Amino acid sequence: MSTPYKVLIIDDTEEVLSALCKYFEQKGYDVLCAANGLDGLKMIEDEKEGLDLIITDLVLPNISGVAVISIVKKKFPKLPVIAITGWGEHPEALAKEAKADLVMEKPFKLPELEQAAKALLTK
Amino acid sequence: MGPPIIGVSDNIRRIRELVDHVANTGFNTVIFGESGVGKEVIAQSLYQKSPRCGKPFVKINCAALPEGLLESELFGYERGAFTGAEQKRKGKFQLAHGGVLLLDEIGDMSLFLQAKLLHVLQSGEFAPLGSEKDFKTDTWVIAATNHDLKQDIMEGKFREDLYYRLNIITIYLTPLRERPEDIPPLIDYYLQEYSLQLGGAHVQQPTPAVLEKLVHYQWPGNVRELQNVLKRMMVLGDCEKIIDELLDDHRTNSDGHGKPRSTPGAPRQGAGSDALHSLLEMGDKDSIDNGSFSLKEAKKKAIDQIEKEIIGYVLAKTDWNRSKAARILKVSYKTLLNKIAELNINPPTHKSDFMQ
Repeated sequence: MSTPYKVLIIDDTEEVLSALCKYFEQKGYDVLCAANGLDGLKMIEDEKEGLDLIITDLVLPNISGVAVISIVKKKFPKLPVIAITGWGEHPEALAKEAKADLVMEKPFKLPELEQAAKALLTK
Repeated sequence: MGPPIIGVSDNIRRIRELVDHVANTGFNTVIFGESGVGKEVIAQSLYQKSPRCGKPFVKINCAALPEGLLESELFGYERGAFTGAEQKRKGKFQLAHGGVLLLDEIGDMSLFLQAKLLHVLQSGEFAPLGSEKDFKTDTWVIAATNHDLKQDIMEGKFREDLYYRLNIITIYLTPLRERPEDIPPLIDYYLQEYSLQLGGAHVQQPTPAVLEKLVHYQWPGNVRELQNVLKRMMVLGDCEKIIDELLDDHRTNSDGHGKPRSTPGAPRQGAGSDALHSLLEMGDKDSIDNGSFSLKEAKKKAIDQIEKEIIGYVLAKTDWNRSKAARILKVSYKTLLNKIAELNINPPTHKSDFMQ
């Protein structure tokens, strides 16, 4: 088997984060997770070009997903990013301005997210 | 230049790390924290570590000015925009161009100005009052507040879209009482600072006993209060006495268990809350628990209670002369009779014997 894709998942809701991480691990991804934007950003910096995909919630403590996406897109324009947003939060317009490759609204099915991820990775 | 961010607590370490990571981004930022906790110090630190350092750093307090004035302060105006506008005047957005605009007490901004601010943040343009032209602005907006803006959103006092637009970076500064480990380094820093201001005067370090008391004090006024106490100690010299007075005052003002009388932002217990409790208990005592409580219902009860007391008072004054009472209350005779029945207002017993 070839090297697995390395994906960073950022979400501040513990249950969501662990569910996403478990699912992607089961699907054979190499998964990193962070519960807030600052930790996420530090992982991105540590990994340099090693990451293949970032999945981030938009509303996060300290550094929001919107900021993470903008920073990532400036430093690594080719690194694909999927933004996920919670019900009742309305920063979708911001996510588009920040140039997320895809915005998915919660609730979504995990296989849908994984398919979208695969599509971006093999593009 | 502002002071460095001082402290060894996790909260402060984390903030320093955050500032280092985001200072170069220029993303809209909100700094949350109680009054006196050092929100402006964080804003200045962001500014100093950013490429905007050396450009303007403009600060405006949104709570200090009435709406109209705040509007013209923020956006400026053209000559003749309104009576008295004899000269055109630059707004803070124009003055802060290329630099940083600190909007202090953003939670106190009116909804009307929130809408205007949102427009500026979305479009990067603003128009001074009375101007036909829009100006481009490149301003890093940092907002500070001691409000819980999420709560304000639920109460309809703060725009949700503005909240998300501003909260690209969020910084929470915890109150000083929750990070006592920061008190000794703050004392060291400010004593040195003040000694320099006093021309290098020798500063006596607080004794371990005084330090202990300073660390355990609750600091409702946060770092600003600590600064004031340190200044007083330096000028008056008698540290022991000052800290003991502080603790005494604090005890007198507290509820007897050594807790602060009220934390800033928390509702004060008092006559108002007694009235509230009696109101809530007027009906079903368990109404909150069993879900039958509602604001509308409580409001109606409160109004009924007040009406009943006022009508009862006027009736007593007029010896239950209902037409006289109706004239005083400026309601029709019929309305008054309805109210008396509806609110179950009873004449005093000895009078009713007489009247029947």
